[in-house]
Amino acid sequence: MSLLVDMTASALEPSYAEAAARRKTSTGPRRPLGDRPPRRRLPLPFLSLVVLFGILTGVAVAQERQSARQTSVVRQSLVADVRDQTGQTDRLAQRASTLRANVSRVRDAALGEDARGRAVAADVAALELVTGGTAVHGPGVLVTLNDAVAPTDASVRPRGGQLGDGRIFDRDLQAVVNALWAAGAEAISINGMRLTVRTAIRSAGEAVLVDFRPLSPPYLVRAVGDVDRMEPAFVDSPTARRFNTWISLYGLGFRVARVQDLQLPAAGALELRLVRPGGTP
Amino acid sequence: MIPAVALALGVVLGLVLHPTVPIELQPYLPIAVVAALDAVFGAVRAQLDGIFDDRVFVVSFVSNVLVAALVVFLGDQLGVGGQLSTGVVVVFGIRIFSNAAAIRRHVFHA
Repeated sequence: MSLLVDMTASALEPSYAEAAARRKTSTGPRRPLGDRPPRRRLPLPFLSLVVLFGILTGVAVAQERQSARQTSVVRQSLVADVRDQTGQTDRLAQRASTLRANVSRVRDAALGEDARGRAVAADVAALELVTGGTAVHGPGVLVTLNDAVAPTDASVRPRGGQLGDGRIFDRDLQAVVNALWAAGAEAISINGMRLTVRTAIRSAGEAVLVDFRPLSPPYLVRAVGDVDRMEPAFVDSPTARRFNTWISLYGLGFRVARVQDLQLPAAGALELRLVRPGGTP
Repeated sequence: MIPAVALALGVVLGLVLHPTVPIELQPYLPIAVVAALDAVFGAVRAQLDGIFDDRVFVVSFVSNVLVAALVVFLGDQLGVGGQLSTGVVVVFGIRIFSNAAAIRRHVFHA
């Protein structure tokens, strides 16, 4: 505390008082008591320092403004870059899927020549169905997950609640997807991203990535399968029951609905990394 | 009156000329301004107290700026530059506020 007291007590440079006292002793006797010291001409060093102070202030302010401007310019250009690249990725993905469709059409035409080819084509079609290689449609279940509406008032926040409690994380989506597979789903997509056996659901920072593409809530999980078996099995699963608790606890959005005809797109390129065809050494 | 004009002239000069500050000196500029601001407030208060002395002002101004910059520079070398500049700003901030309070008492008698 004495430091603070010291700082406020000596806020005015003590040297001012000392200098005044010195002046008084040297000139004091010639002046009547209580008389103000005679006005002195303001000397050059003093005035130049005041000007210097002004310049310093002006430059500091200008500097700060400029750097703020530069920051926002850089930010803008980064945002534009991101938009640009995202658009390009989308275009390329679309082109890739068109080309893939072409390839499978040509392949089917080539295989349709004889009976053996047709059998292979049927195999391929069945495999593509389960691996996510082709777009599928059929009856299924639509699970909608959404972040909780952030409570504006801290008092409404649930007890022991932390920041991020009302958010859907990658592990939540993983749990839902796994429960759907377990309930008998035959094909699943999240926000239009078809899941394959190699699709990762993970998070980077605050965003949930599916197949390394960032998604934003609400998350629409579409699962095609035998609805009469799948829907009750999913609703009865521990995951769904846990989410139902979280609805009331955190205000999460969680809804399960049957849909007559779900459209699921094909997944991106399926490349084999380690598997080799049987028969070849 | 003359100091006020000089100050305004300086600010205008700084804003208009906008000399480029070397990148190594940029972190010290705001600190220097805060240190100088303390000297200026001290000078105004001393003037109102009737004990202003231009020599004391010049010395306190220059030493304030140099010491503040030196402290922050040393802090930068030691990796605690940010914390030390906070310390400098806090100390000068307290001094500026108490001087401003004294000036207010002089001007408004309240």
